[in-house]
Amino acid sequence: MASLPWSGEIQAPTDHVLGAIDPTGAVTSSFSVGNVFREWLGELPAAERNLVVAVLVVLAGLVLGAIVAWLVRRVLVAFGVDDAVEGTPFERTARQLGTSTVRLLAQLCGLFVFAVAAVYAAETLDILPERAFIDEISAFLPQLFVAVLVVIVGLIVADKAELFVGERLRSVKLPEVTLIPTLVKVSILFVAALIALSQLGVATGALLVLLAAYAFGIVFIGGLAFKDLLSSAAAGIFILLTEPYSIGDQVEIDDHRGIVQEVDVFVTYVERDGEEYLIPNRKVIREGAMRVRE
Amino acid sequence: MSELADLVADIVADVDSVFLFSPSGSLHERFLESETPVVVVAPENAVDAERFVELPLEFDDLAERIRFGIEGGLDDGHLEEGDQVACVAKVFSEDVDSITRVRAGDFEHSGVYDLFVNSRAEPSVIRDVLEVAIELGKKGQKGKRVGALFVVGDAGKVMNNSRPLSYNPFEKSHVHVGDPIVNVMLKEFSRLDGAFIISDSGKIVSAYRYLEPSAEGVDIPKGLGARHMAAGAITRDTNAIAVVLSESDGMVRAFSGGEIILELDPEEY
Repeated sequence: MASLPWSGEIQAPTDHVLGAIDPTGAVTSSFSVGNVFREWLGELPAAERNLVVAVLVVLAGLVLGAIVAWLVRRVLVAFGVDDAVEGTPFERTARQLGTSTVRLLAQLCGLFVFAVAAVYAAETLDILPERAFIDEISAFLPQLFVAVLVVIVGLIVADKAELFVGERLRSVKLPEVTLIPTLVKVSILFVAALIALSQLGVATGALLVLLAAYAFGIVFIGGLAFKDLLSSAAAGIFILLTEPYSIGDQVEIDDHRGIVQEVDVFVTYVERDGEEYLIPNRKVIREGAMRVRE
Repeated sequence: MSELADLVADIVADVDSVFLFSPSGSLHERFLESETPVVVVAPENAVDAERFVELPLEFDDLAERIRFGIEGGLDDGHLEEGDQVACVAKVFSEDVDSITRVRAGDFEHSGVYDLFVNSRAEPSVIRDVLEVAIELGKKGQKGKRVGALFVVGDAGKVMNNSRPLSYNPFEKSHVHVGDPIVNVMLKEFSRLDGAFIISDSGKIVSAYRYLEPSAEGVDIPKGLGARHMAAGAITRDTNAIAVVLSESDGMVRAFSGGEIILELDPEEY
């Protein structure tokens, strides 16, 4: 092989593949490597051929899985997920086990890719007895993956929400208030579990009914409890924006005459002779107010 | 050095209670087991003390700080008139470095504590207004000294005891003292004549107000001007308090019930 095809002269074709006629040598050579491989594969008996393909698929799965894991990790870190999950019990548990949430999620994605590759490898090898079984597995695998993902994300979001709500309510010095963050956490966990179970195809009808009852209870009872506050707030926003009366004006609302001392979103404070009335803003809208002008 | 130890022992002998001013957590823990009652005086109750007096301003003057703490202690019932109190405070360093002994009720009841805690307006609002006044006193308006008058609380009554000098720049706005923008706004508006009126919850109700209280019988030190007189008079006629930044001597004074309660030098903050 003294001279290559691009050396200028077109040589007489030798029987070696590399000496092929084409001037674009690089393409030819890679093609030819493929050809060599294919030829070599063709000469092998069927069982061995399958083994080689299976090993290659598993290797590709490993590499691809590692790449996916690395990518997912980079993306998660770039989005600040590692900072966001800091301090949640899930992250702490993960740390104790010598890993972290981000790494766990990345590894999970990588594992999923590898598992898909492994299934295909098994298929080529015909290890698994039935075709239907493989179909079942390849249908079930994504569901399992999503279910595990939902559980992990649910755990983290629940922890995070608990911390957040607890932080917000810290200034409220009332022992019963600690119940609210727990309630938020349990609700989120419940929904996450429901999604995960329905992904796996477990019958969730009864749980769904429970969720509906729960949501209805919160909306209905909450609406009932906050009805007055909400209507007052809506009226209060109107009053604050348009200021039909302002601090210092003499008004009469709901049979209480006096000087307006303060207007906030929920109530109007009207004072007269040292007595201060708290009048809900919805009364102002519903019953009207009278401004007294001397 | 036994003489020194004796001296300190003499100072703290037979005290009825200990006042810790802004103590660290470890210092407070050392006092947890003590038999004499311990009162913590600090801007916020970071050590979860049982007896606590909130310090709305970090008074630079130790005497002022102790006075506030003692008055607060008396008011909250942590102290009896005539109790001996050991005060542990920091003056120079970041750590506790001084111990003094005072008798509760020894000095005249100045009402500094009442000014913050028992006014109509919320303590945080009064603190914010004082801070704005101090800030304004420090920097002035474009390098020139300015004066300002803030009337805080009981806004409805104050509005009825005053009249507008011009259009109210704060009409239909919902700005509260303590909002970050307010410092700049007030600095600009301090060029205007008249008083700022601030409600109990800290909303700036109006600027440009001419106060019309009856000034009869208001007794303020001679030499202070019309701004201080107006502040004294309006606080006597209403339940508001007034914070005045003097244009002539640059001091910040707080009025309540027609009298000067607090006098601060902005340069010291």
